[in-house]
Amino acid sequence: MGTFILRRILILIPMLVAISFLIYLGLELTPGDAVSHMIPPDVANTLSAEDLEALREQLGLNQPFLLRFWIWLTNVLQGNFGHSLEAGVAIKDIFLDRLPATLELSGFAILFSTIIGCFLGTISALRRGSATDNSLTVVGMLGVSIPEFFFGLVALSFFALHLEWLPVGGRLMPGYDSFWDRAPHLVLPVLVLSLMMTAGVMRYSRAAMLDALSREYIRTARAKGLPGWRVNLLHGLRTALTPVVVLIGFRLPALIGGSVIIELVFQWPGLGNEFIAAVRGQDYPLVMMIALFSVLAMLLASLIIDVLTALIDPRVRLE
Amino acid sequence: MNRLYSALALSTALTMTAPIAFAQVENPLSDERVRQAIAYAIDMETIVDTLFEGMAVPADSMIPNGPWHADGLDDYAYNPDRARELLAEAGWDEDYVVDVVYYYGDQLTVDFMTALQAYLADVGMQMTFRRLEGDVIGELTSVPEDPHSDVSAVDWDIAYGAKAALVLHEYYNVYADGHSAYTPSDPARTELLDRINGTVDLEEQRVAFQDFQRYESDALSDIPLYYQQIYIFESDRLDRNGGPYGNEQFNYDWNILNWTIEPDENGNEIMYTNKGPIQFFTQPWLNPGLTMGAKILYDRLMTADAALVPTDGQLAESFEVSEDGLSVTFDLRDNATWHDGEPVTGDDVSWSVHTALGVPSLNAVFANTFRSLEGAEAYLDGEADSISGIVVDGDRITFNFDTIDPNVLVTFSQFPPLPRHHLEGVNPLEFQQHPFWQYPIGSGPYRLEEVQMNDFARFVPYEGYWGGIANIDEIVAFPSEDNDPNVLQNAAAGRLDYGFTKSVSHVQGLEEMDHMRVIPANINYTRSLRINAFPFQPS
Repeated sequence: MGTFILRRILILIPMLVAISFLIYLGLELTPGDAVSHMIPPDVANTLSAEDLEALREQLGLNQPFLLRFWIWLTNVLQGNFGHSLEAGVAIKDIFLDRLPATLELSGFAILFSTIIGCFLGTISALRRGSATDNSLTVVGMLGVSIPEFFFGLVALSFFALHLEWLPVGGRLMPGYDSFWDRAPHLVLPVLVLSLMMTAGVMRYSRAAMLDALSREYIRTARAKGLPGWRVNLLHGLRTALTPVVVLIGFRLPALIGGSVIIELVFQWPGLGNEFIAAVRGQDYPLVMMIALFSVLAMLLASLIIDVLTALIDPRVRLE
Repeated sequence: MNRLYSALALSTALTMTAPIAFAQVENPLSDERVRQAIAYAIDMETIVDTLFEGMAVPADSMIPNGPWHADGLDDYAYNPDRARELLAEAGWDEDYVVDVVYYYGDQLTVDFMTALQAYLADVGMQMTFRRLEGDVIGELTSVPEDPHSDVSAVDWDIAYGAKAALVLHEYYNVYADGHSAYTPSDPARTELLDRINGTVDLEEQRVAFQDFQRYESDALSDIPLYYQQIYIFESDRLDRNGGPYGNEQFNYDWNILNWTIEPDENGNEIMYTNKGPIQFFTQPWLNPGLTMGAKILYDRLMTADAALVPTDGQLAESFEVSEDGLSVTFDLRDNATWHDGEPVTGDDVSWSVHTALGVPSLNAVFANTFRSLEGAEAYLDGEADSISGIVVDGDRITFNFDTIDPNVLVTFSQFPPLPRHHLEGVNPLEFQQHPFWQYPIGSGPYRLEEVQMNDFARFVPYEGYWGGIANIDEIVAFPSEDNDPNVLQNAAAGRLDYGFTKSVSHVQGLEEMDHMRVIPANINYTRSLRINAFPFQPS
C-alpha cells in the first residue's frame, strides 16, 4: 500500500502542473484583466490610456502569457504563492484568514450530512416500501432537486427575518470572543448546506444498503441465526458504506473550495466568497491558488477514497 | 456584418463613379439628423414612469437641473413622426443594424435596452445590444490616434452608460481633443471647452456652460436620457440632528459629529452601515467619498455644503484665493492630528499632492488641479525633484498655478491628505497595495478601532479630533461593494442604520419597511447614449 500511495502522490505533481496551466490558459482567454475591474467604467473615461498602461505594467499584466505562467509556476514551486493584485495582500494570509470560515461551514455540513444521511438512508432501506421509506424518498428527492440558493433564501426569510431566531448573515460581529459567540451565525448556512448534502447521502446509502441486503452472504448470515441488527449493521452496513464513502470523499474538496452559493447567500466570509470576488476582479494569482488548492484537495480525496475503500472492503486490493 | 455590408455597399457605389481607394467609411451616425432622430424616437417619460417606477428624471442636457442648467433646450419630446422625417432626410439605410453596448449587469438595463430596441424599430432603425465584458474600459474609451479624422478605435455605434461627475466640467472635458472615443474634434466645441475651463468666475462659468448645453442640444454627442438620483436610507434609530442630505457619493458637511442613535438593548449606541472593506480599505484619491472609511476616517483641507460647493476650512483654519485665481493659501489648524497623535503638517499635504500625481487611479478633478500647478510638468517629467508651485512654510501651505483650474477649491474639499510618516516610500503605482490600506490612519472624526476583513470594520470617535468628539459610540461597517446585494435583508434584520443606493428595487423594498426611511438626493449622475461619430475602418 505504501508504494501505491507514494506512486499516486508522485503522479499528482505533473497533473497539478497540467491542470494549473489549463486554468491559467482559461483566465488568459477571458477578456479583460484586473485593471479593467479596478477602475469603475463610470469614471474610467476620465483616466488616460497611459495611466492604465502604467498600472498594467506595474502589475506584470503586459508580459507574454507563457512568461507570466512560468514566473507564477516557479514562484509557487518555491513556496511563494504571490499577492492579490487588487489588495496587495499575501495570498497565504488570505488563505489563513478565509480558510477557517470555510472549514467551519463545510466541516460541520459534511459531518451532519454524513451522520444523518447514513442513518436515514439505512432506516429507509430497512423499512423499504413503508410510509417512512416513501416519506424519506420524497424528502430526499426534494433535497436533491431544490436549488441551494432558493432553499437558503427561504430559510433566511423564515428563520432570520420572520421568526428572528437567527442572524441574517455574516460570521463575526464586534465583541465575539469564542466559537459559541458566533455559533448562531453558523446554524442557518450549515443547516441549508447539510440538508442539501444529506439528501444525496441518504439516497445513496439507501440504494447501497438495499444492494448489500440482497447479497447472498447476508442471507447466509441470517441462515446462521445471527441477530438481525448484527446482520444489518456489521455485514450489510459495512459493505453499503463503501459507495457512500466514495460520495463523501468527493465532497471533501468542498472543505477547501467552500460552498460558493451558500457563502454568498449568507454573507459568509469564506474561500468560496473570495473565489467569486477574485474571478470577478480577474485577480489571477488568487484565482489560481484557490483553484489549485481545490484541485489538490480533489486529487487527495480520490487517493484517500481508494485507501479507505480498501480498508473498508476486504475484496478491494491496492496495486 | 452590418459594417461589412455598409462598407461593401459604399465601396460598390464609389467604384461605379471613380476607381479610387479609400481608408475609411463614413459613419451614418455622424449625421446630426440621425442622432436627433434617435432622441425623438425614445419616449423617456414613459420609460421613467414604467421601467424606472418614477425614480429618475428625464434629461434634456448632460448638466442636471438647477442653476447651471440652460433654459429653452430642445427636450426632444417623444415624436416618432419627426424621427422618421429626420431619418428620411439623412438617407438612413434601413438595413444598417445599430450596435449598442452597455456595461451594467442588472436586469433593468436589459429591459431598458429592449425598450430602446422597440422604439428604434418603430421609426425604422434596427438595433442589437450586447453587454461589454472583460476589458470594458478599453472597449469604451480607446481613442483614435488622430482626433480629427482617424477611424474609430472602438467597435460600437452607441454606448449606454453614465457619467458620474464631481464637477460639471467632467461632463464635457471628455470631448477634449484626443480624449474622446466617440466624438471627433470640433473647433466650435473646443472653444466652448476653453471657456468653461478658463475662468474661476462662477458667473462666467455658468454662462459658458449654458452656451455649451445649447450647442450640444443640437449636436447630441451624447443623447442625454435621464438624471439619476441617489437614495439615502436611514433607520428610525438614527437622527442627523439637522444635518443636511446631499450627494453621498462625495464629502460634505453632514454634521456627523452630532448624529445620534438610539441605544440598543445593551445600552450601546452603535450605528450599522455597509460599504465596509472586503479585502482592503479603498484608497480615497479616486472615489473620495464612496465608502464609509473614506467618509469618516479623513478630513480634507476644506469642507463643502450638500451641493458640494466648497465653503469653510476643515484641516485648514482659513484659506485665501488670490485675485487672479492662480494662488491658494491654506493655514492649517495647529490642533489637527492624525489618529496616532502626530500633527497634520503642511509637509503631509505637500507629500500627498506629490504622491497623488504618480498614482494612476487618481480622480480626474484632482489630477487636473495638481497638473495645473506651477512646475508639475517638470516634476512629472523627472526634470525636478519637487513641484515648485507648492510652498510650505510651517503650518501655511501655498499652491501656485500655471494655469487657472476652475475646480481648485472643489479638489481641496474632497482630496484627503494622508500621513506621510505611514506611507513614506510607497510606490505610487502600487499605492492601493500598500499595507497601510489594511489598517489606515486618518485625521477625521472617527478612527479605526478594529477590522476583520470581509466581516466588519469598527470605527470609534477619535478623542483628539480638533472639532470635538462625535456622539455615536461606534460605527460598524459591514463589507460590500458599491452596489450592495444584501441591503434589503440587512436592513430588515436591523443591521443597517445608514446607507445609500441607486437601485430601484432596493428603494422599493426599503420603502416598505416601517422602520426605514428613504430620502432622495440630487447628484451629478447623468445616463446617456454616447454616439460614436468617428468613421469606421472597412472590414
